[in-house]
Amino acid sequence: MAPRPGHDQPNAGAPTVRLRLFVAGEEPNSAKARAVVARLCRERLAGRCQVEIVDVFEDFEAAIRYGVSVVPTLVVEGASSHGTIVGSLCDEAVVLAALGLSAAEGEHER
Amino acid sequence: MSPVLEKAPTYVAGLDAILEGGLPRGRTTVLSGASGSGKTLLALEFLYRGALAGEPGIFIGFEERLEQLRENAATLGWDLAALERDNRLFLLAGHLSPDTAVSGDFTLQGLLAVAAGKSREMGARRIVIDALEVMLRLFDEPRQVRNEMHRLNDWLQQAGLATVLTVRPATRGGSSYLEDFFDSMGDCCIVLDHRVAEQIATRRLRVTKYRGSGFVRNEVPYAITDSGFFAAAISTVGLRHKPLGEKITTGIASLDEILDGGFRRGSCVLFAGLPGTGKTLLCSSFVAAACGRGERVLYVGFEESEAALVENVRSAGVLLQPHLESGTLRLLTSFPEAMGAEEHYLRALGAIEDLRPAHVVVDAISACERMGGRQAAFEYLMRLLNACKERGITVLLVNQTGSDALAEISGNGISSLVDTVIGLAYHEGYGEITRLLHVLKSRGSRHSNQKREFVITDRGIEILKAYVGEGEVLTGTARQVQEAKDRVEAQRLDFEIRATELELDRLRQLLQHRKEGFARRAALRGTSPPAEGGSLPSPGQQEG
Repeated sequence: MAPRPGHDQPNAGAPTVRLRLFVAGEEPNSAKARAVVARLCRERLAGRCQVEIVDVFEDFEAAIRYGVSVVPTLVVEGASSHGTIVGSLCDEAVVLAALGLSAAEGEHER
Repeated sequence: MSPVLEKAPTYVAGLDAILEGGLPRGRTTVLSGASGSGKTLLALEFLYRGALAGEPGIFIGFEERLEQLRENAATLGWDLAALERDNRLFLLAGHLSPDTAVSGDFTLQGLLAVAAGKSREMGARRIVIDALEVMLRLFDEPRQVRNEMHRLNDWLQQAGLATVLTVRPATRGGSSYLEDFFDSMGDCCIVLDHRVAEQIATRRLRVTKYRGSGFVRNEVPYAITDSGFFAAAISTVGLRHKPLGEKITTGIASLDEILDGGFRRGSCVLFAGLPGTGKTLLCSSFVAAACGRGERVLYVGFEESEAALVENVRSAGVLLQPHLESGTLRLLTSFPEAMGAEEHYLRALGAIEDLRPAHVVVDAISACERMGGRQAAFEYLMRLLNACKERGITVLLVNQTGSDALAEISGNGISSLVDTVIGLAYHEGYGEITRLLHVLKSRGSRHSNQKREFVITDRGIEILKAYVGEGEVLTGTARQVQEAKDRVEAQRLDFEIRATELELDRLRQLLQHRKEGFARRAALRGTSPPAEGGSLPSPGQQEG
């Protein structure tokens, strides 16, 4: 079953964000998106994100559950942010906005 | 010898005959049509009926919400949810939710993965991709669109499903490269055309291409009936009519006598007359007798509701209710304005195919003009009569006329197909209005030419002895006769007054029309119209 997100550790510092990235094997857009997600987790969401990579060819049921029709698709589930982004995630401003993060380079946005 | 093309029957009424068996298996059919043409419905019916027949199917839609699709299907009596529960049908909404953000390039591989996985899981044989062009609009560049189309095409070819892609043709020559691509992808191409002329919708289907197969090349009318899509090829008119059969009773013994045994099976009988002369009752007597013999009858009614018809003839001793209950009689009632002539015809044809009746009644053909004009009515009747004649079905037509004029009685120019004409009229005589019946024509049989008086009793219609004509009084005293004569004379004068009034109206309109024409011409010449061009004529001033 899909876990109900958003209520983990409500007052233990920064809220946790759950990222589910749907990819199709190693095709180029999927590889790019994977890299972006990995970097964001390292640089902006360190310690407060959970990432799950789903390959639609291996788990099409999950794709049905989350209504994924194109890849890559990033499903964001968090206390303050919620949404879906499709594409290789190369336009970072769009991704940051969906995550509720400022575009600023600073490490500690608040 | 060329390899035999395997086909997937659509099980859609009338369509497999046009496609000579169905849609190509393992290949793609492109179904195009404007919005409202019914392409989604047709594609869905292909899946629905296929699933019922044991071929699981997948529907991927990019336009309608799935819930809406299920609801629409339910109105046609299709229980999609039950098939979904059985894993015989899978519906998937392919479009992105409106709040989806876009960042960079993407592909449709998610859908393909789902379709492939689901197809394996349920053993799918059919797939429909509905309104793909909506999804393709998400891609900015033609190159991306082409890539996606190729990817889809490759997958479909490898998956081996009978595929239907529905697309809406671009208006104003929009993305024509897309259409070229669709065309090249399709081994079979079907175009649905939905036109509206004179406020009446006409729907035509045309197969424009079918690689490796024969098909009906003509435009074929189609309709969406209350059980689904229905296509009908217009057969070679008149060439396959069945010969007339034996005599069968009219349901009225005395009428059988006049007609030397009754109507001929498979013939077309027209009852014509003013309102209230007993046309429907005569038909119903025939219907009740036929149903009593166990022969099925379809009654196409445009005038009354089922309850009203049953009740009206019941009061004259003709019982239809038991036959309706046993299913030997079926009533197909609708308002002529409710749909186009095309749809009326297909609806009737659908009922004929379903019920396989021995006899069909159309009550009344005079109402058919309200389907969209004289031409529409003519086409409707011609095609219905042809369909019946080809099947050896007896047809009873009711024509409500506004006068006794013979031209009107013969009915909408269909007289060449009518075998027997029975005229019904009123006759005013000696204080009462009597009903007269007159066999005007009876092809291939002897019949009495006399006008006969008939009465409607609570035991049905009774035809009396030959009516001998004016002045010959059989019963009654001189006083009664004189009184009757006076009344008749008064009625005659009343009638003449009304006729004169009508003529006066006509002349007034003519005058008005001429004046307007005159004024227009005067205005064109730049002169002012003359002062009042004469007063209205009074009845006395008229010339014959």
